[in-house]
Amino acid sequence: MSLPDLAYPGLPLGPSSSYIPGPGTHLHLESSTIHASIAGRPTFTPPTAKGSKPTLSIPRLLPSPTHAPIPSSNVSNTNTLPTVGSVVLCRVTRVKSKQVDVVILVVYGAEGKFGRGGEGSVCADEWQAVIRKEDIRATEKEKVVTAEGFRVGDVVRGVVISLGDQSNYYLTTGRNELGVIMAKSEAGNKMYPISWKEFKDPVTGETERRKVAKPF
Amino acid sequence: MPLDTSTYHLSLLRLDGRRWNELRRLHAQISTQASADGSSYLEMGNTKIICTVSGPAEIRGGGRREGVERDNAVVNVEVGVAGFSGMDRKRRRGDKRTTEMQNTIASAFTSTLFTHLYPHSTISINLHILSQDGSLLAVCLNAATLALIDAGVPMKDYIVACTSGLTPPASTLGGSRGGNSETSDPLLDLNGMEEQELPFLTGAGGTVGGDVGGGGGWV
Repeated sequence: MSLPDLAYPGLPLGPSSSYIPGPGTHLHLESSTIHASIAGRPTFTPPTAKGSKPTLSIPRLLPSPTHAPIPSSNVSNTNTLPTVGSVVLCRVTRVKSKQVDVVILVVYGAEGKFGRGGEGSVCADEWQAVIRKEDIRATEKEKVVTAEGFRVGDVVRGVVISLGDQSNYYLTTGRNELGVIMAKSEAGNKMYPISWKEFKDPVTGETERRKVAKPF
Repeated sequence: MPLDTSTYHLSLLRLDGRRWNELRRLHAQISTQASADGSSYLEMGNTKIICTVSGPAEIRGGGRREGVERDNAVVNVEVGVAGFSGMDRKRRRGDKRTTEMQNTIASAFTSTLFTHLYPHSTISINLHILSQDGSLLAVCLNAATLALIDAGVPMKDYIVACTSGLTPPASTLGGSRGGNSETSDPLLDLNGMEEQELPFLTGAGGTVGGDVGGGGGWV
């Protein structure tokens, strides 16, 4: 049975004998057919286990981002939410003595072999997150100075450790491959990493202290 | 200006040129307000309504009140009538009719939205009436349906509504009683003038089957 291009709530999509109802659909008991619950394009995902049925679902899409200054084909309108354990890329917005405030820009899937996970998706909205002082490094946590680890504007790779409260996710950079991946020097030039704690400005030759992520 | 209904059965045309079962011009848009989770703008003839939906959102103040079951989301409706919407400029504040309309709309959507998916939450529907020319409850329900679909709130069916009324039987106009051959004609989608003169009700329902309710109005 071919799926319609656009389904509206209440539209019958298929029999429950052939499909499993997924997100965005519901089962109508009397007629044992799967009906749509939201408006959207129905898709079906192939069966997970041998012998089971494909799943019929309607993904919920956000409105296409119109506030972005430059349109990007990478900014999708399916919002991948960060979950505990997902690798994220974020940008530092504020450095305080006990924590670092960041905004999450890109979410990768669950951690892969090298701690980086699979395909990353650019978030349609920025998510607020916090890296606490004790989560910046795995060792010598009490000796950490946040200003020696991060500066405003740095791009950081971190891992979500907690969904947190209404305002913030909580991240950690306490692994070798987590930390600052891109930084600008005080002179304004892009720097490259030279050790786990220093970036170097190629133009001025100055080095600056950061908690550097180990390049793969 | 009293409605002259004496010529109804002759020409079968209403004062605005419609037949008994013709609806007024319908104009609808969704996603009109980027800031809201879902929004719509609906015109049925000269009745014009903006609807915005936000939620499901957490209830302020914890929501842990005794005796209140919060296993389902609560649908909260607010209707605001603009002062310039009617024939005379009037600010209706806390009107009983408005409150009744709010409750009707809230209970209608509570029965079709999947509120069990969002416990301890509120879905807020805000309706702003810009212009009134009859069928107010029906247009509110239709506009709210569009805004809820735009917001992506899952529902088992969508609600559509329309008003229907009865013309007076032609025999009563001349004063004589017991018109055996003269029956009333039904009318669909009453405008403001017709609503003031004729008995009508607002019927609402879904497409999948089952009634979700309606409200009656008598002058």
